[in-house]
Amino acid sequence: MTWKSPVALVREALQGQRAREKDLRSLMSNLPYEGLEKGKQPNRYFPSNAIKTTKYSLLLFIPMNLYEQFHRLANIYFVGLAILNFIPVVNAFQPEVALIPICIILSLTALKDAWEDFRRYQSDKKLNNTPCFIYSRKEKQFVERRWKDVRVGDFVKVVCNETIPADLLLLYTSDPNGVCLIETANLDGETNLKQRTAVSGVCNSFEPESFNGIVVCEKPNNNLNHFKCYEKPDNQKVGAGIESLLLRGCTVRNTDHAVGFVVYAHETKSMLNNSGPRYKRSKLERRLNIDVFFCFILLFAMCLIGALHFIWLYALPGVPPYLVPPANGHLDSPNLSSFYMFFTMIILLQILIPISLYVSIELVKIGQIFLITNDIDLYDEETDSRIQCKALNITEDLGQIEYIFSDKTGTLTENKMVFRRCSIMGTEYPHKENIRLAVLNEPESEEEVIYNQDLQPLPTGWSLESEEANSEDTHRHGSRRKSKVLGTTQSDVAFSSPLETEVIPDRKLLQQISRTGSSSRCQKIDPYLEFFLALTICNTVVVSMATTQRRRPLTSDNLRYEAESPDEAALVYATKAYGFTLLARTPDSVTVRLPSGEVLVFEVLDTLTFDSNRKRMSVLVRHPITKEYVLYTKGADYAIMELLGTPYAQRHLDCYAKEGLRTLCIAKKVVSEAVYKHWLVERQRALTAIDNREVLIMDTAVQLETNLTLLATGIEDRLQENVPDTIMALRQAGIKVWVLTGDKPETAVNIGYACRLLEDEDLVLVIDGRTLTMALSPDLRGDFVDLAKHCRSVLCCRVTPLQKSRVVKVIREKLKVMTLAVDGANDVNMIQAADIGIGISGQEGMQAVMASDFAISRFKHLKKLLLVHGHWCYTRLANMIIYFFYKNVQAYVNLLFWYQFFCGFSGSTMIDYWLLIFFNLFFTSLPPIMFGIMDRDISAEMLLGVPELYKTGQGEGDYRFTTFWVSILDAFYQSLVCFFIPYFVYQDSDIDMFTFGTPLNTTALFTILLHLSIEIKSWTVVHWVVMLGSVLFYFIVTLAYSATCVTCNPPSNPYWVLQNQMADPMFYLICILSTVVALLPYTFHVLRNSIALSPLIEAKHLDRLDPSMREEWMKEWRSYRGGGQVQRSTLS
Amino acid sequence: DVKSYRKVQEDDDADGARVGGNEKFTNRPDNTAFTQQRLPAWQPILSAGIVIPGFVLIGLAFIGVGVALFVTSRSIQVLERDYTGDESGTPCASCANSNVQNCICTLNITVETLFKGPVFFYYGLSNYFQNYRRYGTSKDDNQLYGVLNPSDNCAPYAYNSNNQPIVPCGSIANSMFNDTFKLYQTVNGTRQEVSLDGKGIAWWTDYNIKYRNPTNNPLKDAFNGSNSGLFYRNFLINPIYWSKPAYELDTSDPSNNGFVNQDFLVWMRRAALPDFRKLYRRISQDKYPDGLPAGNYSLEITYNYRVYRFSGKKKVVFSNVSWMGGKNEFLGIAYLVVGSMCVFMSIVMLIVYAKFKFPDEE
Repeated sequence: MTWKSPVALVREALQGQRAREKDLRSLMSNLPYEGLEKGKQPNRYFPSNAIKTTKYSLLLFIPMNLYEQFHRLANIYFVGLAILNFIPVVNAFQPEVALIPICIILSLTALKDAWEDFRRYQSDKKLNNTPCFIYSRKEKQFVERRWKDVRVGDFVKVVCNETIPADLLLLYTSDPNGVCLIETANLDGETNLKQRTAVSGVCNSFEPESFNGIVVCEKPNNNLNHFKCYEKPDNQKVGAGIESLLLRGCTVRNTDHAVGFVVYAHETKSMLNNSGPRYKRSKLERRLNIDVFFCFILLFAMCLIGALHFIWLYALPGVPPYLVPPANGHLDSPNLSSFYMFFTMIILLQILIPISLYVSIELVKIGQIFLITNDIDLYDEETDSRIQCKALNITEDLGQIEYIFSDKTGTLTENKMVFRRCSIMGTEYPHKENIRLAVLNEPESEEEVIYNQDLQPLPTGWSLESEEANSEDTHRHGSRRKSKVLGTTQSDVAFSSPLETEVIPDRKLLQQISRTGSSSRCQKIDPYLEFFLALTICNTVVVSMATTQRRRPLTSDNLRYEAESPDEAALVYATKAYGFTLLARTPDSVTVRLPSGEVLVFEVLDTLTFDSNRKRMSVLVRHPITKEYVLYTKGADYAIMELLGTPYAQRHLDCYAKEGLRTLCIAKKVVSEAVYKHWLVERQRALTAIDNREVLIMDTAVQLETNLTLLATGIEDRLQENVPDTIMALRQAGIKVWVLTGDKPETAVNIGYACRLLEDEDLVLVIDGRTLTMALSPDLRGDFVDLAKHCRSVLCCRVTPLQKSRVVKVIREKLKVMTLAVDGANDVNMIQAADIGIGISGQEGMQAVMASDFAISRFKHLKKLLLVHGHWCYTRLANMIIYFFYKNVQAYVNLLFWYQFFCGFSGSTMIDYWLLIFFNLFFTSLPPIMFGIMDRDISAEMLLGVPELYKTGQGEGDYRFTTFWVSILDAFYQSLVCFFIPYFVYQDSDIDMFTFGTPLNTTALFTILLHLSIEIKSWTVVHWVVMLGSVLFYFIVTLAYSATCVTCNPPSNPYWVLQNQMADPMFYLICILSTVVALLPYTFHVLRNSIALSPLIEAKHLDRLDPSMREEWMKEWRSYRGGGQVQRSTLS
Repeated sequence: DVKSYRKVQEDDDADGARVGGNEKFTNRPDNTAFTQQRLPAWQPILSAGIVIPGFVLIGLAFIGVGVALFVTSRSIQVLERDYTGDESGTPCASCANSNVQNCICTLNITVETLFKGPVFFYYGLSNYFQNYRRYGTSKDDNQLYGVLNPSDNCAPYAYNSNNQPIVPCGSIANSMFNDTFKLYQTVNGTRQEVSLDGKGIAWWTDYNIKYRNPTNNPLKDAFNGSNSGLFYRNFLINPIYWSKPAYELDTSDPSNNGFVNQDFLVWMRRAALPDFRKLYRRISQDKYPDGLPAGNYSLEITYNYRVYRFSGKKKVVFSNVSWMGGKNEFLGIAYLVVGSMCVFMSIVMLIVYAKFKFPDEE
């Protein structure tokens, strides 16, 4: 290493900075520079592939962690008070003692952070040392290295079933067509295979050393579905997009090996996509902050009263012996000492601002989330996924939801498509056999718990090749059995589960085809053949081979279809049932076997991929027989209709929609050679453009997709299991469910009936997108909301994602209600607009899940999540917070405050400082946290059985404005009792300070714990251990402390105080009397419980019955309450 | 960023396991009673059926305790006499108004009936805030434990103007109560001194553990510095308000001097409330095994302690004690009141409950 001047180093650093910031990056192969020092490497400015997700380093842990922690206002407040305590004139405790609580809180948090960071460090290390193959010029082959050694500009070889170490530009694959299949499940959860193609222009026999081009790519970004670059071998531009990029974290499938050029290391798309947990502030927390503000006012008032002690000082005739001047020997003036006293009081009463509350809430939420994620009822075996809680601090909001906004596709429905009916040339083929099949199957699927959705195929005699069909059947059975035995999850199966293949052809249509098939050689004009050809060709379905190790059920001829969207797979399976088998698909060709057995190879000239603006995709092929250029287009009905001349089969489409089918239209166009040639030039230009490439590509696509001829079809998206039941329960729980869908009104209404969102007697608002735009205009908005408020449910059809989020926003703002949005695909806007966004990890599109606060795998999980966990989390947290205010005010602050009236407002404490601090930190901290995590007011069965109970949490809920003040008043009352009973007993006696304080402290502990005991609704072993443990701990620690500490904490000295007291019967008599009197007002609760039964109490009573009795009672109760009119009530 | 990244990795592991074919449901939560929140639980409901009998029981028990306390308290005899002398005509008025040291005044006391023993003799102060915070910190526990060097806590009563250390230092010691009392019984016109017992009036732990004299023998050596063996060059000084040094607090009993003087220990245990009494002596049980017989007594007070600066009062108290300590009617009455309230409320609850439970019978 040669010496470099600082100037050179700075220049180097600046160049690096510039190179990284540039919009376009030029990358070169590292191979020619292999073995040279770092300064000569062409790609030296770009970071290496080693990842470091740790936040801290070993040396800097303490300063960095402290810096991080002091971002929290509460900690600053605490430290400020501790510092204030170091000022001699105002201190209330010994300075060191005041540091204890903040130190303990800081070090606990630091320990937690350190542990998390250490786990990250370990996983980083493991990942960085994963082996991979990098090409070495010296050894003329790929040699094994580690992930961390991968640099930008390297050539990396990945083999089948291995994870890709960095973002690679695919240059070569073992596949003759230059295709490499990857599974992106690690990135977005999608389990279907995605096809990547090698950059064209690089020949099949690829040699890394001969690569002499420059790769120009854009600056790293986090868009998983977008990438653009071009390559310049021999000064000729070759464009490449996301279809040639292998993303880090994906797994190579079905491809023996592939070689890629590293474009991004470390700044990979997957890394850039890792955004941390989301921070939202819950409604309860906002409420809480207001009350903390009241606490500040209370604190200020109490400190002011303390500062008034100067009046008392003025009243003294002389200087009493107990007024000790400061070290300089001169007493401060009364005014000045009052001023100091104000701050002393703040230090003394600081606990009134419940700093420990925030820490406790955090701990409670961690516990609640642990319990939610561990709920086995929210686990989906099919995808082997639990519920994911991404937002860590809004669990209690789940118990307050009043409006749910739901998408349809993938949310209410499976998003697993089945081909149902079609309409060709104006003739409708209803596929009655399929319907019969579905009906027959229904009871069975309801009986068995829904995981097994396999449909039993009926014996049919329809097939052209009946033998083959039979063997296929048996095979399918076999594979299914195997899948049961092995417990193969459906995530492995993606869209090739047996369900989709289960299409029984329509008899009439089959005859029609066989007729045309037998009359041969007239295919080109036959619309039926054309229809099926279009279905077979116009998609992006990949045929995967048997060599793979992925355990997927095989069809008879070892064909498995992997599609990016479920409807495509459904269609291809449908055509297969009619004998049109998709045999192979490469970027350049599609191979189709016709019913006659004839195999046609279509040359694919171009694929105009699907995008959400066009809502359609097209494939341009050259017909092998007629040599015509044919464009097949497939898309949503309205996306195709606008490109047609006459409204064709509209009647059928409407009819499909009424049945709740999703309709797709297939269209065709023959393009003349001249038009094609002309178009091709523009297309080429668009493809190599870096700026506005998407727009250009889309424009070219739109240019071609005109004047189409229509063929039509309808496919069904099945409802997810238990959707009607879930929606019923949610509605009984007083939650309004809105469905916002892009579908047609007819489809939406049909689905609405199917999932019991609509019932005949209901007042329902069905509104479509265009009307909605008007309804949401500023002047009509109020009326719309008023109308919607009175409707039992609202269906919005044909709405765009943007409109969805606007609807949510309007309702949320106008009605001031808690809203929840559920989506199974890509409606990020809507999810983010709501108070809680829930993503359903479904079949396509994981953006919703990524942006959501909670991700579930089934819609039905919503029921337990809201009705049980929501209710629990909310009541637990609300009650814990109320209790916390009470606890801090009662024990700590008020007892000290009352004492000030008897010690000349001097800031004295009648309890040893250490015990005072221990009291809050150890003796009484665990019970409320346990209460917040584990209390269970009503059993899950009851909450699920009587959804009306959910209403108690809605709106104001348990935690109201008055609740806070009632608990503060309660605390004042109890503290008066706890202070003044001992006071009157010991008045005018020879009692000393700590001996007086001991029964106060003990009574406070008992009152606090017994108060909580009354709040606790169900006592488990944990409760007993924690509660009794706290009491024991108090006595053991205090006894040990006052037995051992002779002079360890001067000038406070509690030596043998508790021992003395415990030998005195008066101590027990005082404690018993104070505790009982303090808790007497609870009898009012008891009276209320027995006389005016709140639904929650009634439910608790039912909970104690045995299950069968309870079942009966529940029914009776529901009917008696009319299924709805549950009064809201408070718990505390 | 880290969390989701780790998730990717975990998925990675899960995937690996799946390919291996061993673990099927790697993400399946544990089906335990704890994680599924199915721990067996006792769910008490405070209903009238439990509460009403509970109240009756508590009420009766409280009334029992209350009666016992009340009766005991009534049996305790207390005799209190104020001797502040702030009103003219009272025996100690002359002493209160003069600044004479060791001013002596006499209080005549008549005991009507036998004052049952053991009789405790207290002095009482009012409006005196021994619990004042800065006053309370103005002492040095370590010094009182035998390490004579005064700490900063004692300032400004740590060193005198000649920079000599004060022992015992601090404001509490400095302000020690220094009135003394002698009790005489007048029998047939002659005064007969009632012997008072000053042993064991402080806490046992204070006398034996918490407070320790320096090990010098005689104790005086530790204080005069000349051959104390300590590093002080200076003589140690007694607190400015004290008239005699710490090693001469009790000339009659050498073991009752220095930091372990009983009166000193009693004073150092700070009173919790501004009106307090402190034990001064016990009436010797050897001479008066049954207590103080009825008759006339005179109390000779050596009046030193000034209380007019804080409008305080001084008093002497004679009292006998029971298992519940000194006389206190409050606790007994409180128990009686709360007990009866419980019984009363349980009756009210029963009536209300019955009305709601059986409305038809109205």
